Amino acid sequence: MREVDIAVIGAGPAGLAAALACGESGATTLLVDYMDAPGGQLIKQTHKFFGSERQFAGTRGIQIPDIFIGRLSKMPNVQLMWGVNASGYYADSGVLTLEDGGKFIKVKAKRVIIATGAAEKALAFENNDLPGVYGAGAVQTLMNVHGVKPGDRVLMVGSGNIGLIVSYQLIQAHVEVIALVEAARCIGGYLVHAAKLRRAGVPILTSHTIVRALGEETVRGAVVAQVDQSWQVKPGSEREIACDVICLAVGLTPLVDMMWQAGCEMRYVPALGGHVPARDENMRASNPAVYVAGDAGGVEEASSAMISGEIAGISAAKSLGFEVQGAEARLGQLKADLAAIRSGPTGEKICAGVKCATVCGGEW
Amino acid sequence: MSVENPLYSHFAQGREDSGRPLGRLRPNAVRLKDHPILEFPAGREVEFTFDGKEIKGIEGEPIAAALHAAGVTVLRHSPALGRARGFFCAIGACSSCLMTVDGVPNVRVCTEPLKQGMVVETQEGHGHLPID
Amino acid sequence: MAEREKSPDDNIVICRCEDVTLAEIRELIAQGYHTIDEIKRVSRAGMGPCQGRTCRQLIARELAIALGVPVEQVEMPTFRPPSRPVLLSTIARGEADE
Repeated sequence: MREVDIAVIGAGPAGLAAALACGESGATTLLVDYMDAPGGQLIKQTHKFFGSERQFAGTRGIQIPDIFIGRLSKMPNVQLMWGVNASGYYADSGVLTLEDGGKFIKVKAKRVIIATGAAEKALAFENNDLPGVYGAGAVQTLMNVHGVKPGDRVLMVGSGNIGLIVSYQLIQAHVEVIALVEAARCIGGYLVHAAKLRRAGVPILTSHTIVRALGEETVRGAVVAQVDQSWQVKPGSEREIACDVICLAVGLTPLVDMMWQAGCEMRYVPALGGHVPARDENMRASNPAVYVAGDAGGVEEASSAMISGEIAGISAAKSLGFEVQGAEARLGQLKADLAAIRSGPTGEKICAGVKCATVCGGEW
Repeated sequence: MSVENPLYSHFAQGREDSGRPLGRLRPNAVRLKDHPILEFPAGREVEFTFDGKEIKGIEGEPIAAALHAAGVTVLRHSPALGRARGFFCAIGACSSCLMTVDGVPNVRVCTEPLKQGMVVETQEGHGHLPID
Repeated sequence: MAEREKSPDDNIVICRCEDVTLAEIRELIAQGYHTIDEIKRVSRAGMGPCQGRTCRQLIARELAIALGVPVEQVEMPTFRPPSRPVLLSTIARGEADE
């Protein structure tokens, strides 16, 4: 059985940053991802990152994976495995099972950093399983990664930043966004994004929800309706909209199956997307061999993911006795960077959520 | 300024020619051409079949993307209720997109890379396991 | 046994892997199945290829509403490997030699 000091599961921004920190410490590191190429959701992020240069401000998301891989591939103590799925983690023995296209591999890892990201939430409405009902991330992937138009007329459900941004990206790709519906009374995302949509002539219907999708084998329309303060549909307010894509941007939820498997203490934190592992300020879970990084610990964004990944990497390496140069200063800087990112208007809820999920001072 | 998508970079290593421009698809092609930021690399065009029909796609792209570009959005019919399903999450998490590829059922086509000559079929229900 | 009122939502497919509708979920709750695990075992919702990734939260929400509790009090089911479907041939082959 292979043995490794630290295994990092998921090569999105968090996993890449974690693996780099582990590699730099000298620990033998394994980074796996089930996709054939690394990057996670970075591969479709066409916008330029903001923040500090430590988080690649000014660089487009799609360019970032190569920067990490350029350094990781030169480290002899780091092994990269793509197209390999982490099947299970057995906490009692510290064994990780991997599936590599028909080959079953067992790895004994002293520490595991789980950076598995998050997945789209589903919304329950009639015919929500019709072809043409896609998650917003899926629409983004189709457009930005594969250059394929998802359809011609889109109804967007959800006015958080993802709903607003993907709507704008659809317009950039010459796809018509018929309307955006939001069940709450106010727009969820930054108004600067909403303004761009309004200027492009997209009606943003707040206090509206989708009641059903229309179509036999594929989406050909949708029925939307107004909702009152208790989310009940106002009778008589139903309207039919002709569309061939219904895009659901109703939030993401962390992919934390492995943390449950590992017996980690889990907490339900709506602000972070659902169930997340309880963790200390250094991203260690209740099981001392397990760390969490990125969206798997709470849905935020790529910049936060890179920071929490680096924190997890440094902490995991230190916990094994590896010398990490200037660790205290780096951790301090990283936590300050994280606080800065979370200090915007939408950051308040995230901060409150993170507080709920964090165990301070080792008080497990 | 155009940016090459890193997802395709490791497929570029196998290319024999410098990359033919995207073949002439249907007149109302759904492949994006004039994107303000992204340039979609002209990967190697390959042929595959879908329910017996020959379709062209780009080597390495997810089968679901190639099908979508060809106007195919119904990927299977569900086991119990026979409901049409397409893809939903595009990251291999939700299992909506299962199809039979080269005789093997339950392949997640939203992440499975397209190869020359693949035989892709709409999956009915759970599909059938190939018996060797 | 509690009589369940029919609802226009009944036809909504909650578990798309196993085709379990909202009507079935609500029927089971009305019959006294009050945990996700029990509903899973009786209806197969959450046993398909996605292992409940899509339906788990929707079922939790239904339970929360039916039982009148906040959704965080709904007990999560047990999570076991493998995280994604594995071919039997892979397991039969055993561990790969290094």
